[in-house]
Amino acid sequence: MIHPEPIEYGKLAKTINRQPLFENLHLNIDPGECIVLSGDNGAGKTTLLRILCGLLTPDAGDCRYNGSCYHWKRARPWLLQNVVYLHQEPYLFDSRVLDNIAYGLRRRGHTITQARDIAARALNATDLGHLQQRNARQLSGGEKQRVALLRAWVLSPRLLLLDEPIASMDERSRHRTLFLIRRLQQDGVSLIITAHEPRLFAPLAERHLRLKQGQLNPAQPLTPETGAAPGSAFMLDEKYDEQWHLS
Amino acid sequence: MDQLSEAFINALYLLFSGDRELWIIVATSFSVSLRAILVATPIAIVIAFLLAMTRFPGQRSLVMIIHTLQAVPAVVVGLTVYIVLSRQGPLGDWRLLFTQTAMIVGQILLCLPLLISMAHATFAGADRRAWETARTLGANRVQATLTFFYELRFALLAAIIAGFGRIIAEVGSSIMVGGNILHHTRNIPTAIALETAKGEYAQGLALGIVLLLLAFGLNALLHLSQQQRPVYA
Repeated sequence: MIHPEPIEYGKLAKTINRQPLFENLHLNIDPGECIVLSGDNGAGKTTLLRILCGLLTPDAGDCRYNGSCYHWKRARPWLLQNVVYLHQEPYLFDSRVLDNIAYGLRRRGHTITQARDIAARALNATDLGHLQQRNARQLSGGEKQRVALLRAWVLSPRLLLLDEPIASMDERSRHRTLFLIRRLQQDGVSLIITAHEPRLFAPLAERHLRLKQGQLNPAQPLTPETGAAPGSAFMLDEKYDEQWHLS
Repeated sequence: MDQLSEAFINALYLLFSGDRELWIIVATSFSVSLRAILVATPIAIVIAFLLAMTRFPGQRSLVMIIHTLQAVPAVVVGLTVYIVLSRQGPLGDWRLLFTQTAMIVGQILLCLPLLISMAHATFAGADRRAWETARTLGANRVQATLTFFYELRFALLAAIIAGFGRIIAEVGSSIMVGGNILHHTRNIPTAIALETAKGEYAQGLALGIVLLLLAFGLNALLHLSQQQRPVYA
């Protein structure tokens, strides 16, 4: 389901070790939009994502959602309930995959039975059903990333923040993860993805922004290149999807 | 060598002969130490968590003091509690001296520094993504903190086992504030001290082996519980 209202962040400022990381930063995300965020190491991409989801407190800032503008402190509870952040290496709880998926649903008031039922259906619908009884700590890096994506997906967040979601993945895992991200996008979830190789997300991204010297600037549009690197989202045509989906 | 083997046979005999006095002593030991660890654990976990997760002036000094307190001899703790609880002491009116409550107080003070230190090390080295992940998935502060503790349960359990090991075997504090009263405050370590003073070395060693066997049984139970598949949602 696509949420009707955009989310707008305004006047965001953050100083770390007395050095301003960014000041008066504005960002709006339309419903179902996918933004790719690039920038050098240390530019503040991860810090920005952690602020956007409510985990980190900015020095200043506000957030507009559902038609009203709120000071960041007042918006924080809403952000924590509606914006999900995935670490570069997602953290999975030391329990079964099924219970990892069910965790957020439980926090949203579902009973254990309901939450596990939804989790099992989601796992089966994404070809991850065979993992549901495994301890999440025993999964490979790619599997962990997909389980973490699914754990966020079942919550139907307004905005999903992915920090380098396909970094250091092999080609096969990369494709499977990109496939899942595209399904999330098709489901109406707004996405912000940080990436060192933004072109890998070309078919998904509607906007490409670059964080440099505390400013968010539009970067050159991401266009699929000929001869794209193996594993790039550029290669995600339907036939390819199907191939990886069924394998 | 003969004395040791005799002690071991004596220990097995004592354990399986249903000796009433022995089991009263064992029950006193475990009852006092389990109650002490039950009270000390939540206090230690809260203090350790705050020490690891918050910043305040003097924090490092406080951690150093707590680390140092691990080295305090049991008899010094016992003496301190004795002074506080004795007739002339500030809490003398409570008439707690030579009771199990006094022993529990002494044992709590003994194991707190060890528990706090180990739990603090656990929290300080913990993966904070656990807490952040819980929060971003919609958990409130309390739920996220409980999830964080749950993720660290094995390390925290190890701290509790170490704390329990420290107090179940201590003699200095128990004998000083408990008084070694038969059927009331006599526990295994104070009974061993008594038997040794009487020259009954084999009996003392046998009681030591009983203590070890029972502690081993308890640890085995805890380890078995660790191996259970963690299930929560």
